Order: sequence, then C-alpha cells, then structure tokens
Amino acid sequence: MASTFTDTSTESGFNSLLDKPVLELYDVNLRIPVSTKEARSLKKVLIRSVTGGSLMRKEGQGAEIEALRAVNCIIRHGERVALIGHNGAGKSTFLRLVSGIYQPSTGIFRAHCSVFPMIQKSFITSQDLNGMQAAKGHYLLIHGSLRGFDDFLGDVIEFSGLGDFMHLPIKSYSEGMAARLLFSMLTSSQHECLALDEGFGTSDARFFAKAKLRMEKFIASAGTLLLASHSNELLRQFCTRGLVFDQGQIVCDASLEESLAYYHEFCI
Amino acid sequence: MNSVFKSLDYARRTRRAWWFTATSRTRARFARTALGSFWLGLSNLLSISALSLVYGTVFKVKDFGHYVVYLGTGLVIWNAIAAALTSAPTLFEYNSNHIKNSNLNPIFYTLEEWAFQVQTFLQSIGLVLLVLSFFQPTLLLHLFTVGFLPFINLILFLYWLPLLVCLMGVRFPDLFQLIPIVVQLVFLLSPILYDKSNLGDMAWTADINPLYRVLSPLRHALIQGDFKIGQSLALLIVNLFGISISIYLLNRMRRHLPFFV
Repeated sequence: MASTFTDTSTESGFNSLLDKPVLELYDVNLRIPVSTKEARSLKKVLIRSVTGGSLMRKEGQGAEIEALRAVNCIIRHGERVALIGHNGAGKSTFLRLVSGIYQPSTGIFRAHCSVFPMIQKSFITSQDLNGMQAAKGHYLLIHGSLRGFDDFLGDVIEFSGLGDFMHLPIKSYSEGMAARLLFSMLTSSQHECLALDEGFGTSDARFFAKAKLRMEKFIASAGTLLLASHSNELLRQFCTRGLVFDQGQIVCDASLEESLAYYHEFCI
Repeated sequence: MNSVFKSLDYARRTRRAWWFTATSRTRARFARTALGSFWLGLSNLLSISALSLVYGTVFKVKDFGHYVVYLGTGLVIWNAIAAALTSAPTLFEYNSNHIKNSNLNPIFYTLEEWAFQVQTFLQSIGLVLLVLSFFQPTLLLHLFTVGFLPFINLILFLYWLPLLVCLMGVRFPDLFQLIPIVVQLVFLLSPILYDKSNLGDMAWTADINPLYRVLSPLRHALIQGDFKIGQSLALLIVNLFGISISIYLLNRMRRHLPFFV
C-alpha cells in the first residue's frame, strides 16, 4: 500500500511528512514452520486420508520456530534505523517481514510505502542471459517499461566497468564481475524505503573503494533506511536510531548510541 | 476474489518483464546452436516423421497423408501440455533463492514459466503446421478462423493446470517423480497415435481424460475446419474458473511459500 506524500514545500508540511509512519508493527509474531519429511510426504498424506485422517495439514501440526515475538515499532519517513543483534537474533527476519517476503503469523503490520529489500546477491534473471539482458529484465521489473533504460544501461556499464563483457552470459563471469554488475544495477535507482543487509555489497576488492562511495550516495538517497549490520562503524555512518534484537524480540528501541551501549552491555 | 484481481493487475503491469525474461530464456537455450529456436519446430517434425512412419505401418493406415496430419497436430499440442506439466512441480524450488530474498509476487515466476511454454509452443506449432500444410493446405486457415477459440483455450489451460501441479509440488516434492510417469501414461491412453475409435469400449476413457479434452477440440478444428462453439465456450468457462482458483490458491499459499521452497 503506497501513499503519496504531498505539501512538502512548507515547514509544517515537511514536519508532517517526517512524522508520517512508513512502517507500523503492532504485536507482530512470526512463526516459521519447520517442514518435516512426515508433513510433506505424499505417501503419508494418502495413508492418513484413507485411514480417516485429513488431507490438509491442520494448523498447529509440526514444529514451528518463533522467529519474531511481540514486535512493536513504528518507523517514520526519513528515519535511519540500525538493526543490531547477534546472528539468529531476528534482524534478517525483520528485514524480510517489512519487505513483504514474510507475512506475520499474528499481529498487525502496515507498510505505507514499498520497501526494497537488498538482502542477497542474486540476479532475478537466468544466469544464462548476458549482462545486457539481465539489466533490461531488472529495469522492466522495477519500471514496467523501457523509458529511461538507455541512461540506466549507460550508468551500469560505466560504473561496473564490464564493457564488452556485458554481451557475455552471466554464468561465464567471475564472482567479482557478477557482483559488480548486480551492485551497479541495484544502486542505479532510488527507493522510498530500503531494507539492507550488510551481507549485501561487493566482494571485489579493487571495486570496493569505488563502490563504497556509490553505496554511501545510494543509502543517503533512500527515503527511509533499515540497515542490519554487525559493524558499529557502518551503523554510525548511516543510522541515528537503533533496534536491538534478541531471540526474535526487540529488547531496546532507542537512539543509536544508546542501543549500541545496551547491546554491548546485555547481549554479548 | 479481490486478491485474484490484484494478482491479475500485477500480471498486467509486469507483463513486459516476465515476457522478456521468458524470451531471453529461449534465446539463451539455443544461443550456441546454429539453427537457434528453429530446433523447437524441427525436433517436433523429427518425432512426427518417425512416429507416423512406425505407427502408420503398425496400424496399416490407408490414408497416410491424413494420418501424418492427425498425429502431427496431436503430438505438437501434446508436447506443449506435457512440457508445461513436467516442469511445474519444481518451478518454485528452482526460484527458491528469489522467493526467500526478494518481494516479487510469486505469480511472476508462474507467468514467466507460462510465457516460456507458450513461446516454445508457438514456435513449434508454427513450423509444424507449415510443413503439414503440404498434406492439408487448409490447416493454417483453420487455425486463424475456427481454431482460434480452441487455441486460446489451450493457451489458458497451459497456465492454470501446471500452476495447480506446481502448488502441489511445493507441498509434496514426490510429485516431481510422479508427474512424468502420469503424463506418459495419459499420453498412451489418449488418442494421439491412434484414432479414438480404436479404443472400442474403452472410448469413455478419452472423454474423462482432461488433457485430451483440451487437445481434441483444437486438433478437430484444425483438421476438420469445424467449430464446436458449445464445447469451446464450456471449456473457456472451465479455463477461467481454473485460472481464478489456481491464482486464489497461489495467493493463499504465498505466506508459506518462502518456508516450503
């Protein structure tokens, strides 16, 4: 559900825009079902059905993991929010939830703008396609038409430095080349709200310095930012608010420095 | 049903993207071949030639030209249905990385696969009908006149039945092993290599065979130039219902999809 923000020309309009929540979570729980062999076996289901069992798997059967528990938070337009916590604390799950990849099991979640997830390095198109086709597919998916594609492509080719390699299948690229292309494509557009995992980035060392600057610009251009990271330095560079996750719960919601202090004192 | 309309609207808005990625897949598939996607039709023609020679002799057919057209049109339609069904159970598993990490509506993957199957079919049937026109020159004319609605019915059918199989494949991975066997058995039970009358008392099996019920009207229209409007409209209603229910089930499963693939 996207909303249109208007009246940004006056101070009051600007303030009301900043106050406007883009993400609202009230008592949100997310339970991830553990897919057991028993639950997914066609044979077992057929046996259950002929012996009086139900063809449909009933709610509550099988194990579930409580990935998020009683999450309450409101994120307003323009906020830079750091997601802090050790591995498995719920940061990535939270990113996936607000991005719409996961849906809450219980509770209320409202997104007033589209959230763009940058969680894992992968192309939406087949690895058999060449770089040009991958860029075109990506652009069509984001924009729905090819209006402005030439500028986009020029930027991608120039920044990635792939040159004629753009005409070769992606599967023939080295890991670094593929990362450069993907990074260039994904950071060529602006997003209302960005859900970014620190795992995302570029693994090409020579490309790193160039990419760092672009990434900074890209993050700065996002309307609202959610950044999951273990790096205090990175979080301090981009974020002002911190959410500390522990066992799927938000245990601290405060300014970044307060959240980092809480995390280092109570969670490590 | 609101969710079905929303999904259809999403499909409309992203149509250029999924059609393009499907086209690119076809291009990539034949990128290193000299004949390119021409192989799609050619492979069908080779099968038709071999099978019509063998079974034409086995069944001692009197009118070989008619038999080639009968078998050829049936086989090319069947191949489209079989390809769509056999690739369906693993569709979401194949795209699992994206399903777990991007917020793309899963209907996108089903549409891309459908577009890929339709494009493959269009190229195959185009060449096959062109060659079979040597035996029956009216085939292409029939396709664009009386064959239009049965053809649309087949195209719609290629979306929703594979989608249902795909959704079941997510729940039950065993289907991946089962579907090719079932498809092969249904092929042998369907009057494609032989005439329906050869089934004798077993002819009813063709009437309850859902795949044959889609194949037969198109083949009949192409060969006979006869349009059975009642049958085609009934099939269209079934297809529209099938599309609605399959998209509805997809939307219902959407919340569970990242955990099952």
